[in-house]
Amino acid sequence: MIGVLARLAQDTGDGILVPAEPIQAGVTQIATPEIQWVALLPHLILVVGGILLLTIASLFRHRVPRWAYTIYTVAVAAGAIIAALPLWVRVQDAERGPFSAIAGALGVDGFSIFITVIICAGVILTALLADGYLKREGIDGPELFVLLLLAASGGTIMASANDLIVLFLGLEILSISVYVMAAMHARRFTSLEAGMKYFILGAFSSAFFLYGIALVYGASGSTNMIRINQYLASPTGVVLSENGLLLGGFALLLVGFGFKVAAVPFHAWAPDVYQGAPTPVTAFMASAVKAGGFAAMLRVFVLTFGTFSGDWQPVVFALAVLSLLVGSVLAIVQTNVKRMLAYSSIAHAGFILVGVEVATEQGTAAALFYLAAYTFMVVGSFAVITVVGRKGDGHHELSDYRGLARRQPVLAFVFTILLLAQAGVPFTAGFFAKFYVISAAVDAENYSLAIIAMVSAVIAAFLYLRIMISMYMSTDSEAVTGEPDRVPVPLAAGIALFVACVVTVVIGFVPGPITDLANDAVPFLVQVG
Amino acid sequence: MPNPLNELLRQYLTVAIFAGLGLAMVGAMLGVGWLLRPDRPEPQKYINYESGVDPLGVMWSQSQIRYYVFALLFVLFDVEAVFIFPWATRLEAYGAFGLIEMAVFIFILALGLVYAWRKGVLRWV
Amino acid sequence: MPSAVIAAGATNGVGFPLLTCIVALPALGAAVLACLPRARGDLLKLVAVLFAVASGALSIWMLAEFDTAFDGFQFVSRHQWIESFGISWFLGVDGISLFLVVLSGVMFPIALVAASPKQDQKSFYAWMLLLMAGSMGAFVALDLLLFFVFFEIVLVPMYFLIGMWGYGNRVYAATKFFLFTMLGSALMLVGILALVILTSSNTGQGVTFDLVELAEAQGVGLVAARWIFVSFALAFAVKVPLFPVHTWLPDAHTEAPTAGSVILAAIMLKLGTYGFLRFGLYLFPEATHWFAPLFLTLGVVGIIYGAVVATMQRDLKRLVAYSSVAHLGFIVIGIFALNAQGLEGGVLQMVNHGLSTGALFILVGFIYERRHTREISELGGLQKSAPILAGVFTVVMLSSIGVPGLNGFVGEFLSLLGAFRGARWWGAVATLGVVLAAVYLLWAYQRVFHGSPEGENARLRDLSLREGLIMVPLVGLIVFIGVYPRPVLARIEPSVDALVAHVDAHVEDFEVEEIVFDPLPEGNDDAEHDEEGGED
Repeated sequence: MIGVLARLAQDTGDGILVPAEPIQAGVTQIATPEIQWVALLPHLILVVGGILLLTIASLFRHRVPRWAYTIYTVAVAAGAIIAALPLWVRVQDAERGPFSAIAGALGVDGFSIFITVIICAGVILTALLADGYLKREGIDGPELFVLLLLAASGGTIMASANDLIVLFLGLEILSISVYVMAAMHARRFTSLEAGMKYFILGAFSSAFFLYGIALVYGASGSTNMIRINQYLASPTGVVLSENGLLLGGFALLLVGFGFKVAAVPFHAWAPDVYQGAPTPVTAFMASAVKAGGFAAMLRVFVLTFGTFSGDWQPVVFALAVLSLLVGSVLAIVQTNVKRMLAYSSIAHAGFILVGVEVATEQGTAAALFYLAAYTFMVVGSFAVITVVGRKGDGHHELSDYRGLARRQPVLAFVFTILLLAQAGVPFTAGFFAKFYVISAAVDAENYSLAIIAMVSAVIAAFLYLRIMISMYMSTDSEAVTGEPDRVPVPLAAGIALFVACVVTVVIGFVPGPITDLANDAVPFLVQVG
Repeated sequence: MPNPLNELLRQYLTVAIFAGLGLAMVGAMLGVGWLLRPDRPEPQKYINYESGVDPLGVMWSQSQIRYYVFALLFVLFDVEAVFIFPWATRLEAYGAFGLIEMAVFIFILALGLVYAWRKGVLRWV
Repeated sequence: MPSAVIAAGATNGVGFPLLTCIVALPALGAAVLACLPRARGDLLKLVAVLFAVASGALSIWMLAEFDTAFDGFQFVSRHQWIESFGISWFLGVDGISLFLVVLSGVMFPIALVAASPKQDQKSFYAWMLLLMAGSMGAFVALDLLLFFVFFEIVLVPMYFLIGMWGYGNRVYAATKFFLFTMLGSALMLVGILALVILTSSNTGQGVTFDLVELAEAQGVGLVAARWIFVSFALAFAVKVPLFPVHTWLPDAHTEAPTAGSVILAAIMLKLGTYGFLRFGLYLFPEATHWFAPLFLTLGVVGIIYGAVVATMQRDLKRLVAYSSVAHLGFIVIGIFALNAQGLEGGVLQMVNHGLSTGALFILVGFIYERRHTREISELGGLQKSAPILAGVFTVVMLSSIGVPGLNGFVGEFLSLLGAFRGARWWGAVATLGVVLAAVYLLWAYQRVFHGSPEGENARLRDLSLREGLIMVPLVGLIVFIGVYPRPVLARIEPSVDALVAHVDAHVEDFEVEEIVFDPLPEGNDDAEHDEEGGED
């Protein structure tokens, strides 16, 4: 696995497509790149953890209790976070700073570590959520957990990739795992449909992405981001803006990223897939998959193509505006809560795109803060939806939430906090997430985008109010007719909810620490060391 | 100094000309056949060709899902072979590193097979 | 100079963070309520009232400790909140916010006592206490972001109060209220950030959200300041509410439960007018001066429109709601007259409107509890069956009309006086509103209380002891301020004069006319302020 990465990086790092050398009798050993195992540790823990789980599960099927899988997954993700902490200390050390590993294939900087931790947090929460879900739905087996870990490793590789090919590798590991996860609930027709749709459109977007890489390679002569960046900054590179090859590459890469992060107009798959996929998987898609996609987007566009920001910014501007408005407007006309949150996650993607569009350090830090805050808000929200979905994962209409506040006031209150956080009400993480993004836009004197973003936030607020109305303000006559029973909240899901809710509120009161971390997590392009 | 990009596009021009000629050739052959052949339609001639036997059932018949699994497994190991052959020719150059690398690769694929086997996919129900 | 004094601030020798306690106590109370058993309704109410009274008592203690001669911010407490962004927990009061804090401290306990939620009392009281914490915070916050945070957060409790305990069309009203106000304030966030970042880049200093520093720096250009003022003004205009964006108010007021209506009218509308003073005039003196004719016009339109529409209402509560639109118009023209009398009148009128309209809503609530209708046509002759109720109603109504001797007169008079001096024609038209107020309120009184009662109206219960006790402090304050407004005005005046001086210093063609009327003619212990205000 690692060697493959290294090999790819080395071959492409030279910037030339080397034709196979003629086979000779006297063989010279190929120099293998030095591998900094410490730098790889978080990725390795996730990958090996996933493979090990699959091995154990294959050999000792039905002999391991289900909760053991959950604990194992949580432990592996926590291990990856712990392994990332020394790296953070190292890259923040002024003398040592960020570095690149395996011949420049992976960059280890604050940015990649920050995203790694976000993704691992998403894995932990999703695993806790999946525990009760799998039991309730009678889906046996640890496949979901295996895929969860593998997908997470893909996401972390995307975030650290210093080379477009490695980036693509991470993207595919992430995507293919999530395709299968989306179709995990094989007895539900909609789940299969979701998996199929996601697979076809995802494969399509991967093709766009790959073609974009090819065009950028054609224009710049390398897939290594450092070399691309250097080439574009050089006098020969500047001329390139006048021909279509590089711009075509930008466009295709943007299409690929647009699909992955579900930005309008590449969002069409998102509502169906979010609605159809098993709810814990939806939570994972909305949090970790988005984080991985945005991490790669920030690194590729803001950092690598930073010198050409004038060329791609207008397009990202359009993506952001469309996502903000279309996402929030379409969200309010839905009646299915899962679908509502799918559209709202499109609007949230628009907010993060604002952070990408401004193409400044503040913008990047704001996007990172948003991703961190959003991960907890959205996983928490989908945790409530998982629980309320009942057996069969099908009770997601607004009417299913009617009178929830009367039956289960605590659950309703937690959901209210999470929804208010998504709406950006003060004293929640969501407020500061929006605040930082808007301040980055204002700082870049991009007032129009800031205003559009705030207007879309108000439109989206109506959607969260609609859910709250259902929970709290159903009239008595409605309550009498066919009010559903209480829903059980499994212990693990309860823990996930508690953690998500507490983090959301705590960040809302004391955003300072996360702000400082996000500010320190500036991405770097590091020379091949 | 010639623009490297134009050079690149010039090379693609060759491809384009080649592709155009290919299309023209196919079109010309079919067109000539259409002009020269006699045209005597009979119902028999419109039946699907199934090795000379009269076709049975509808055209959109379903094939057994069981074949699908085997096709998948075949593709899997086919791809594995595609990787292993070129690797084998260069094994000396790669040395121990290459050996371990391929071992990891085969292990992961084999793990997939073990998983499928334990899951009961390989049983011909 | 007042500016230096303002920047310095003072803690008045109070040994502990008084304002932080005033803000935090109700929030703490809400947390305590959350831990209490749901079924014990009386206990819940007791705890809620205790916490509200504690916070209110602290606010009254603050009133006692308030340094009358000092025109800067007092009881200042300041702690870093988000260091990298220069955001701090920065609280303080001056003469402008002092009485709004005290008003909140008085009205919330009264509203809590008057409230009788039918279901889920625990949540009701918890939301009320959170609302109290939010409004208190908004009135004492001196950090722009902190103010915005409190300004926004009050929406949530109010939304639930209207939506869960309101009447008929409550969900619609609550949602409309929430979205209208949020839309208004959404752009204010962009404005705040633009102001902060532009100031920082123009002055070359670090980013700060400190109100005083920003106001003294005046670090943004003329055009930018006007645009930013618009984004602020939109938020405040919706909250006040000014004429074209007022439509949420009648719905919200009518559908809200009594306690909600009281707080909405007495406290939350003041956030808008207070915002115009503190964050409009203080931060953007030039832009406020430039836009003043527009807001004067909207204020006058509000006065006339509110009065005319109130006259036509058939629902008693809706009538009171529209009367708020008219009364807030007086406050707005007082503020935008941009002279000491107008501003003083505006601030005083905020308090007066809080007292009288709050009291009116409580009385309407009492009537509704007895008759289960608010239709004026179904009521009648209540004076016979409930004479005490009618008497209290008369006093409160007369205060609302602005009859001399009651508090409404002082505020309206000063506002109009300021308007006549600063903006003569607007003042002239606005005066018409005073007459109209008499028309709709007296006519409504006549229809509800006069005549001979029939049916249920004849058997109407008079005020109980509890209800009477609720009204005593309100009526007492109404009469007290009407007869002897001096202690109130003496505390408002220094800060208002400092504000006028601030405007004078930063607006080029600003003219402050000779003071022709001094509301505090005798024993004027701070005459130097008048001179400051009088200079060109």
